[in-house]
Amino acid sequence: MDFEINDNQSAVLQGLDQLIGALNVEPSQQGVFSAFSSVLDEELRNGGYLRIACEEGFSLLDAALVVERIARLPVSAEVASSALVAPLLEEQDGPLALSTSIEAPSRFLPQARVLLVDVGDEVLSIDVDGGNVEHVETLFAYPYGRLRQTNDLEIRSLGPSLVAPLRRRWRLAIAVEGAGLMQAAVDHVVEHVKTRHQFGRPLGSFQAIQHRLAMAASTAAAARWLGLNAAYSDSETDCATAAAYVQDAIPRLTYDLHQFCGAMGLTLEFNLHYWTYRLKGLLGELGGSSKQARAAALNAWKQTG
Amino acid sequence: MEFGWSEAQVGYRHEVRALLEAELPEDWDDIAVHGPGSAGQTEFSKRFCPRLAQHGMLIPHWPREFGGKDGAPWDHFVLGEEIWAAGEPRGPQYMNVNWIGPVLMRYGTDDQQQRFLPPIVAGSVIWCQGFSEPSSGSDLASLRTRAEKVDGGYLVNGSKVWTSYAGLADHCFLLARTSAQGKGAIVILLVPMSNPGIRVKQIPALIGEGDIHEVFFTDVFVPEKDRLGAEGQAWEIITYALQNERIGIPRYAFSRRILDRAVAKLQSEGRFEDPVLQDRAGRALAMCEAARLMVYKVVDERAKGRPPTAFGNLARWAVVQADHAVNDFMTEYMPEGLLGADPMQQAHHQRAIAAGIASGAAEIQLNLAARRYLDLPSENSRGL
Repeated sequence: MDFEINDNQSAVLQGLDQLIGALNVEPSQQGVFSAFSSVLDEELRNGGYLRIACEEGFSLLDAALVVERIARLPVSAEVASSALVAPLLEEQDGPLALSTSIEAPSRFLPQARVLLVDVGDEVLSIDVDGGNVEHVETLFAYPYGRLRQTNDLEIRSLGPSLVAPLRRRWRLAIAVEGAGLMQAAVDHVVEHVKTRHQFGRPLGSFQAIQHRLAMAASTAAAARWLGLNAAYSDSETDCATAAAYVQDAIPRLTYDLHQFCGAMGLTLEFNLHYWTYRLKGLLGELGGSSKQARAAALNAWKQTG
Repeated sequence: MEFGWSEAQVGYRHEVRALLEAELPEDWDDIAVHGPGSAGQTEFSKRFCPRLAQHGMLIPHWPREFGGKDGAPWDHFVLGEEIWAAGEPRGPQYMNVNWIGPVLMRYGTDDQQQRFLPPIVAGSVIWCQGFSEPSSGSDLASLRTRAEKVDGGYLVNGSKVWTSYAGLADHCFLLARTSAQGKGAIVILLVPMSNPGIRVKQIPALIGEGDIHEVFFTDVFVPEKDRLGAEGQAWEIITYALQNERIGIPRYAFSRRILDRAVAKLQSEGRFEDPVLQDRAGRALAMCEAARLMVYKVVDERAKGRPPTAFGNLARWAVVQADHAVNDFMTEYMPEGLLGADPMQQAHHQRAIAAGIASGAAEIQLNLAARRYLDLPSENSRGL
């Protein structure tokens, strides 16, 4: 057991911070629902950060640390699927979109080169051509798109054997990205309640707010350690458990964080939605919290005999 | 960063489990149901702890000079997980090894160490902690029990309440104050419970037999040699003691054990096919895992010799949530366990409902986390 990042991991994260620092990754001042950064996405891809799990001397845990760190930014990039799911594939060119239905809108489909679809008994792979994707307007702070037409698609079956690994890594991606989003959202709100005064006092001095923010901080920290632990073990149970915890916590955490910011938290200029509305996007992925909780239970308590 | 156990740690866990299996009697569940403070479990602890000591598993984390094995903090925690998960057969003596002994080692005089540590090492002594008072619970520093300075020592008058294990305790780790002036006037006195000026009254409670008491002190003389630390040092000692205590009990381990047992039973009865039960069990599992990893983060800091941080307050909150998640699951879907069918479920229930109260209210942990971890302003802050 060692909860401290090692020298390699420290070097990776420092490099990542330098890369982020050199880019302008602040969202537009014009309030928008979703702030995707194509520059960040490209730089991460070119810098090899999204293939780190496959690099000699590095592991899935290192990839998870990258995903968690990038998720803290107010802008999004397709990081989690490329870094955590794509290593399962022979061809690893991202960006990657994941879905449980060919027809449904998917995160990052407008940017994706490949759409992986978990249809239950097998995984389908569809090469994506931007011309065949229509952008979907949404409150969720990710770019979403759906295929314009689903006839005449070139669909490859990756077979039934990929179903379980895909779900496992998808759950890991939900957990790790969710943890980063939670932490950044908590940090954003903590700063707000320290500086916003009402009744002659900072909002953050009221116990009603302090307690719930401390609970949110506990949740965000637990999500992070569950996610990193799952990346370390890469086990079905740990990945499902971490995803279940994160999805289970999202409604309460996002409600509280918005509540503490009052009407300001409902505006696009305040930026909180860049994290909370990505969390809400993650909430319904792969069937939602109940699906992950059941998967955790069935894996943890496999019946014998 | 890595989250695996070493071979040695895995082996140690197996050793502890094997010892528990060998030493716990067949009717252990029926003993454990009455709680760590019960006469039955206290009596059992005085047979069990010496056996643990014989196997070097009572105080392995203590320094060798005090009878320990200089064991690693992680081993201590593995031991604690396994024993707590089994229903805490050390009874009240878990306090001795977790924090009373370490506090005596750090702050006690040579004489105090020679008198008080050997019985702990032998597993034959029961301590209680005289902290809370009728009007001083979470606000511990407001305690009123007086320790009037007299020739050669202190004359103690006052009362304590919610005192765990007092009915069968040999000694009390007592907090009292020499004057009305704040934390600096608090002293810690190591008091034999056989003193004729001490009267103990058990408070019947939901959480088990012998767990909480009122303790009345009337003209109890305590010699100066039985004061722990210097006058004015008590708050530092208490803070140190509570840091050891707050995550000292790996509660999630018992919760996880009970959850595992519950699911096995549900499976054997064919009830676990129900997706609702799977869902709820999975969520409870997630809470247990969250608590486990949060506590491990604290243990990791401790193992590296770092001073405690406010992360421990966050971890404590997660631990309380885990206990409640499992307990709520059990109470809703396996009520038969609280209707006589499962003594161990009842034992868990009784510990879980106290999880957010014992060792300092969970809300105090949230206060501390808000102030120290999030750096939020105090309630007295004034601004624009």
